Amino acid sequence: MHAPASSVAPGTGQAIAFTVLSQLAGAAFLYFVLKAEGGWQIVGLLALLGAGFYLLERLPWITDYAMASMARVPLVTFATAAVVVLGFPFVVGSNTYVLHLLIVAQLYAVLALALNFQLGSANIPNFATGASYGIGAYVSALLAINFGLSFWLTLPLAALAATLFGFVIGIPSMRTRDTYLALVTIAFGVVVQQLLNNFDWTGGPNGLVGIPAPSLFGHSFADPLVVFGWKLPSQANFYYLSAALVVVAIITAHRLHGSRIGLAWNALRADEIAAKAQGINVAWYKVLAFAVDAFLAAFAGTIYAFYVSYISPDNFTFLVSVTIMTMVIVGGMDNIFGVIVGAFLLTILPEKLRAFADYRLLFFGVVIIGFLMIRPQGLFPQRMRRYGGEP
Amino acid sequence: MSVLLRVENATMRFGGLVALNDVSFSIDKGSVLAVIGPNGAGKSTLFNVVTGVYRPTSGKVVFDGADITGKPSYEVVERGIGRTFQSSRLFSDLSVLDNVIIGMHTRTTTGVLDALFRPGKSRREMAACVEKAEALLKSGSGDLFEQRYRPAGALAQADRRRLEIARALASEPKLLLLDEPSVGMDETETQALIADIVRLRDVHLELSVILIEHDMQVVEAFPDHVMCIDYGSRIAEGDFAAVRANPRVQEAYLGKAAAHA
Repeated sequence: MHAPASSVAPGTGQAIAFTVLSQLAGAAFLYFVLKAEGGWQIVGLLALLGAGFYLLERLPWITDYAMASMARVPLVTFATAAVVVLGFPFVVGSNTYVLHLLIVAQLYAVLALALNFQLGSANIPNFATGASYGIGAYVSALLAINFGLSFWLTLPLAALAATLFGFVIGIPSMRTRDTYLALVTIAFGVVVQQLLNNFDWTGGPNGLVGIPAPSLFGHSFADPLVVFGWKLPSQANFYYLSAALVVVAIITAHRLHGSRIGLAWNALRADEIAAKAQGINVAWYKVLAFAVDAFLAAFAGTIYAFYVSYISPDNFTFLVSVTIMTMVIVGGMDNIFGVIVGAFLLTILPEKLRAFADYRLLFFGVVIIGFLMIRPQGLFPQRMRRYGGEP
Repeated sequence: MSVLLRVENATMRFGGLVALNDVSFSIDKGSVLAVIGPNGAGKSTLFNVVTGVYRPTSGKVVFDGADITGKPSYEVVERGIGRTFQSSRLFSDLSVLDNVIIGMHTRTTTGVLDALFRPGKSRREMAACVEKAEALLKSGSGDLFEQRYRPAGALAQADRRRLEIARALASEPKLLLLDEPSVGMDETETQALIADIVRLRDVHLELSVILIEHDMQVVEAFPDHVMCIDYGSRIAEGDFAAVRANPRVQEAYLGKAAAHA
């Protein structure tokens, strides 16, 4: 292979082949990770992943080539992605454990995308995403249990309630910065969890039980999903539901990132005084980031509540917020794809490392530190906006 | 000529330190005011008082007929005052182009709901911004346009100063405040900067400029209205020749003994 030029322009045929094959390879890799059993298989796959990221770090033109290919044939890219996402449960078959992992990973992907508006775009360390997630779950569960509202109605109502909460944390955040702001959000997160624990109407430490399964056009999500004679376990319903939510989150993130709002967040991340001098109402944009974060996190919370049908304050601890934050940092701040990869990695890895029994968390930490040593800016770092110009 | 900006008896105290002491001046539409004075004289504080970074301890700032004393800086920009910073404050991890587009924040309107539910409107607005930003980058000296996809933090010093000016112009200001724009520029670049400012005034006849400068070449190029500040007080105002000949100005710059030598 000859030395690559700085600008790599793939032809249409090449671009199609690349986008289809790379996405299939990614899906296959995910499949093998999910199916892997025993320590050595996991170690081998992680080594492969590490080598892949090492190559990306060493040869930056690979990323440029991949971006150029996908930008060249967007329809092929989306079609392949849709086929992969829709087809995955059929390949997994009746393995409900794998489906469960995928649902949780997708919900965490949404949470990480939500936090990315703050941590990634605006560098606001928010440790209360877990609380917004919990508020979404509790509001929708309470509405469904006490008032018999359907899942589809509780979804926007829970999101509204959490957005109000976002504004409430956002207001003190106007006066604090950096470390102090982080402390304020930690306090909010802990307060919410304690309140859920102590109120009677939230079920206290016992939580809420018996959240009814949602249904769509007469099909209950508790029933197996039958598609063209294929019978998928009932988890497949929630798999597709959470996949749809991931799509909504990606579109939201993409549109905000590409608009003047994303730019304003990036500006205040870089230099608040300079941002004000450009006419950006810094306080308002910070509050806005809190609200958008809470809005999306509440969607994830609602789906989670209806999926497991039982929630308790333990599901929404401070540790959940820290996990989400780690996903954003490891995956890549302000990079939509990176944040999703980070969420999948950090959801699936601890489960797969159960083979290491007592050393599980130690090994988990070592792997994360190792990846950050290979890719210090996150697995997929932030990229410059291109505005249709050549790379 | 009508007055665009009028500062009345502005005083700024930080604890016991008087950074600005009862400073009054005004600037007409379409004119240039050069502010000179030794380091630490209060020139940048004056900019910060005008742009709302600081609220003056006492005194008044009137811009375009409205009292803007202590208004938040984002509102001041919207009213038409653009500025650059002495130590350039670019958004260094964003591209040159993004820096200029962010400068258009007050002239664009997309809100969260627009961005989410009317992506076409948001995209059209961005496309228009890109076009305007590219035109701005082409219009100045240097090759900022060719470097538009580089991170602003990677620019050479002179380009950083130019980019700050382009970003300030992106807000379509009526008054442009330039805080030592020639710092870090060599002889040729300084001449190009002067030419840039002259050209800018030819294109925008209504535009007023306040320059803080140490480089007398630049001040000499805009000699009509010069003000000298020392220890927070205005010590001289007039045309360049008169200010230069003023013994208090010479004293401020050269020290008492030298001025009387």
